[in-house]
Amino acid sequence: MSPSNSRGGTALISLSLIVVLAGCSQAIPVDPEGTLNTVRNGTLRIGLSPHDSFVEIKGSSYQGSEVELAKDFAQSLGATPEFIVGGEESLVKKLEEDQIDLVVGGISSKTPWSKKVGRTRPYTQAIDEKGKKEKLVLLVPPGENAFLGELEYFLDQTQEMP
Amino acid sequence: MIPEAGTHLPEEQQQMMRRATRLEWISIGYAACTITAVALVVGNSQAMRTAWIDDMLSVLPQVAFLLSGIYVRRSRRPTHPYGYHRTMSAGHLVAGVALLSVGAVLVYESVSALIKAEHPTIGTMNIAGHTIWQGWLMIAVMAVFAVPAVILGRLKIKAAKPLHNKLLYADASMAKADWQTNVASIVGVGGIGFGLWWLDSVAALVISAGIIQDGWKNTRSATVDLLDRRATSYDGKDPHPLIPRLEGQLKSFGWIKDCGIRARELGQVMHLEAFIVPISVDLSMAQIHEVKAALEDTDWKAYDVVVTPVLELPDFFSQPREVVK
Repeated sequence: MSPSNSRGGTALISLSLIVVLAGCSQAIPVDPEGTLNTVRNGTLRIGLSPHDSFVEIKGSSYQGSEVELAKDFAQSLGATPEFIVGGEESLVKKLEEDQIDLVVGGISSKTPWSKKVGRTRPYTQAIDEKGKKEKLVLLVPPGENAFLGELEYFLDQTQEMP
Repeated sequence: MIPEAGTHLPEEQQQMMRRATRLEWISIGYAACTITAVALVVGNSQAMRTAWIDDMLSVLPQVAFLLSGIYVRRSRRPTHPYGYHRTMSAGHLVAGVALLSVGAVLVYESVSALIKAEHPTIGTMNIAGHTIWQGWLMIAVMAVFAVPAVILGRLKIKAAKPLHNKLLYADASMAKADWQTNVASIVGVGGIGFGLWWLDSVAALVISAGIIQDGWKNTRSATVDLLDRRATSYDGKDPHPLIPRLEGQLKSFGWIKDCGIRARELGQVMHLEAFIVPISVDLSMAQIHEVKAALEDTDWKAYDVVVTPVLELPDFFSQPREVVK
């Protein structure tokens, strides 16, 4: 019966490890590329993809609900927002290459880009061109899980979260 | 006379068979719970996805066992003179090939994720107003579901041994080793937590390598049985201990000069041909019948016995008896 005892011991050890790890859960997850640490009290590079009332470009001024949302998030991190305007594809590429930190532009939860980059949980609902309900998300760099966690925490605190 | 198929199992084995069937149904129900629970948290981790598919694949041998359980009970008939025992081997083979091919796909996926340096994204979940990293939930699910599979596996091994059922034995050994998959996926998700994105793909690679190994073992063992290899024990001991035992019994007949047993497996039972070289050439029907009855009485696995008197043993018996593995 000793193998089963030792296995039970292993299970116990792993369980207690999990508990210990859960204790320091503030520090986990960690960003592989350190996005959250770079952005905090620094600059939040926001990619804007023009889309209806979410992101509107008027000359040199940027308006829309998601522009405001991104500004508020930057403020919550003590960061200065910096805007980069582009099409979705070019912005996703920049996300992958770690040239920007966030993409907004009325992106739905069914976006195919989520295969390439990270996306948040849906933070609100909207009606699309065909009159169908869709859920909206924001795009983040792939695998920057601390940054994503921080953004989703911010959304949880400030948005309706369907 | 020769018992009808399905009734050939002694009472103890029939009970064991019912027990094994019950255990397999429980395993399938348990797998359904695991698959659902993991589906709720699976996310973007390659290790979690691989472990999830592994959970789904674990049902294959169980379904194969239950399906063939229906067929092996069928009686022999002119078109199927050996009965339907081999359905177990056929099911075994199908399960093995499925494991092999899916395992190969999963190895490809985890290697390509490693090469492309894909950083797995795992976000948070909102549980009762708290923003909780989904990785914690993955780890919790994997830890909780690790233990019962091992217990089920141990119970099934206990049933597989007296039943001489290789499909059940293979399924049980896989279940017994299933906790390693869970530990590997916990390591993978933990790696993501610490910012070690590559640990996830490495863990996935370890899990899929395990699947391939299972697939290879199952495919090999089933194929070898279907090729009518000399019968081996449930854990691959060669030759099956019953063969020397039966030969010893033949030798105890004073009038048998030389003998050899050719045994192949029909699922749980064996098809046996006893070649006997008598000391004198005139042999009576009664003597042959006595040999046949003695062999059939020795063990329930000696199910289909044919006694062939010969002038000298076929040459394959004179090859070296012990096969070097």
